[in-house]
Amino acid sequence: MLKKVLVIVLCLSMLVGVFAACQDKTEDPGEEGGIIKIGVAAPITGNFAEYGKGFDVATKMAADKINAAGGINGKTLELVLMDSKGDAKEATDIARKFTEDPEIIGVVGDFSSTCCMATAPIYTEAKMVQLSPTASHPDYAGMSEYMFGVMGRQDAEGPFVAKYLAAKYLGAEKLAIIYLNNDWGVSAQSNIVKGAEEIDLEIVALENFVDGEKDFTATLTKIRQTNPDTLCLVMFYNEVSIISKQIAQMGWDDVQICALGPGTSEQIIELGGEDVEGLATSTPFYVTESDPVAWAFKTEFEEKAGFTLNVHSACAYDAVMMMAKAIENLGDNASREAIAAELSAMKDFVGITGPIVFTANGDVFRKYKIAQIEDGQWIQKTDYDYAD
Amino acid sequence: MYLLEQLINGICQGSIYALMAIGYAVIYGVVGLVTFTYGEIIMMGSFSAFYYFILFGDNLFFALIAGFITAAVVGIVVHKVCYQRFLDAPRYISLICTIGMSMFLKNFATIVFGSEMKGMPSFLSGKFIEIGTIRVGYLQLLIIGIVILLSLLLTLYLKKTRMGMKLRAVSQDKKAAALVGINVKTTTLIGNCIGCGLGGVAGILLGVYYNSVLPTMGGMAGLKAFSSMVLGGLGSIGGSAIGGVLIGVVENLGIALTSSGLRDVFAFLLLVLVLVIRPQGLFGKKGN
Repeated sequence: MLKKVLVIVLCLSMLVGVFAACQDKTEDPGEEGGIIKIGVAAPITGNFAEYGKGFDVATKMAADKINAAGGINGKTLELVLMDSKGDAKEATDIARKFTEDPEIIGVVGDFSSTCCMATAPIYTEAKMVQLSPTASHPDYAGMSEYMFGVMGRQDAEGPFVAKYLAAKYLGAEKLAIIYLNNDWGVSAQSNIVKGAEEIDLEIVALENFVDGEKDFTATLTKIRQTNPDTLCLVMFYNEVSIISKQIAQMGWDDVQICALGPGTSEQIIELGGEDVEGLATSTPFYVTESDPVAWAFKTEFEEKAGFTLNVHSACAYDAVMMMAKAIENLGDNASREAIAAELSAMKDFVGITGPIVFTANGDVFRKYKIAQIEDGQWIQKTDYDYAD
Repeated sequence: MYLLEQLINGICQGSIYALMAIGYAVIYGVVGLVTFTYGEIIMMGSFSAFYYFILFGDNLFFALIAGFITAAVVGIVVHKVCYQRFLDAPRYISLICTIGMSMFLKNFATIVFGSEMKGMPSFLSGKFIEIGTIRVGYLQLLIIGIVILLSLLLTLYLKKTRMGMKLRAVSQDKKAAALVGINVKTTTLIGNCIGCGLGGVAGILLGVYYNSVLPTMGGMAGLKAFSSMVLGGLGSIGGSAIGGVLIGVVENLGIALTSSGLRDVFAFLLLVLVLVIRPQGLFGKKGN
């Protein structure tokens, strides 16, 4: 008898769990028309967690700043954050939830080009803007008039890395590339190769790996045979640190390492330790004390987040600011479709990362700086004019 | 010459797979049940070493011991929950139980340890011996050495000690062993813990060799361990070890010739080919 009761109780508790997961978080909307909601899709957990946390902190900072100044046309800005885990399937679920919620007027996110491109059809059908702080695949923004990207495109960053970071700054003559085999990685790598071909820089090895791979000894042994003087890692912070450590483990010390993708990520330094000294990367944005507004932003961000500001978080901040400005400009006519037209038309927006004017496609062409790790810190090495 | 270096990479990685497979074979042999929690036990071993390094510094030897003990303790819990009551029941019951346990351990680890990748300290970094143009890292030699040593210790234990004899008896026939007075419950528990302990050590070697630990690393590790065991022949300890080394070598040579993205393709293609030709595995007995 007791066993039967126990079994029934256990079954009921499982059902409760199921129903709890189905519940939508609906908060008291308060006064009618008193709140404007923007969805934020970010990889809070998973392989890109550092960037997701950066998105979270930066977007909240933007919302706080806007609300402290009186909100958007007097209404409070509310962000609805959801965790996409860096996975296209999760991102698609989130896209459906956002588009089905009539109170959400636009979305800032996601982090990876893969997630953004996977969710593009859903947002387009719902006529909702997806303003991605960091998607950089050249095909992404062109997918519809509702897709926007703030980070810059791989067909600008790739050639920069080949011509200026590898060849000019590091003096590379024989370049090897290891890249992450997903939409972004393939695009980035092909643009580096294109840039290298334009200056006759020899590519001695081109290897890829699938997301989740941890052992690179076979790949590194293979590449070392081709004797490159420079190795370009097209991937994010986890794999950059693992590869740097495995290179040191092999005792391969005569190769220079540069990276495209992680930006000035703090996790690289934490995970890589002394094995990432000298690592150089391209970044469209880096803050120095000579810019007081950006410096103040950097200081506040680092207090709240607990790690160094990188370009991805700054872009997330700018994305929220830009969408808020578009909504403000529209006044009472703010609707999902109108925001798309307004963003395309905006010519005077200047964010923390610089002026942002969208091309006809909906993305931005950026200029790049080079940063390098010295004594466990990221140091800016060149300015925007290095490529002129 | 260069392929020789890849061969050594393969042997090193293969020996880690072999250690996992040996542990798995001990559990399968003694308890008689296929388990799906093995990957998570490997993962727990890795994490115990990670925390050991943080708390007590970079001593690999003691970390290995800590990992063995932690994995064995987790093994006790798994045994009490999933095996003990079901030794005489249909096999699928304990199987489903181990699947549930595996999900529990994975999510428990994600909640308690955090879902982000954690870095392991480097050992013997940059030290290697050079034979001609081939480099063999000290760490690689150390890993191969540890696995060989543990295999020898296990063989000695199984052949020369009373407990070892009991383990072998139970793995042959539980009912007969009970008839001659062996406490089957305790013996399966000890066999399980030894197998789990070896898995824990393998997990630490994985973490140190790859410089990373993740709560989700158990999935692929368990799959490779199981495949190595099936390749070598279910229940055959020596066969499992050879299966592990074979998979490691084939993976690395495959990557050398094509690309890292196809690593798992090579491993599982090998498994499928061997099973099609010889369904009982390389060293297994027919009808087992």
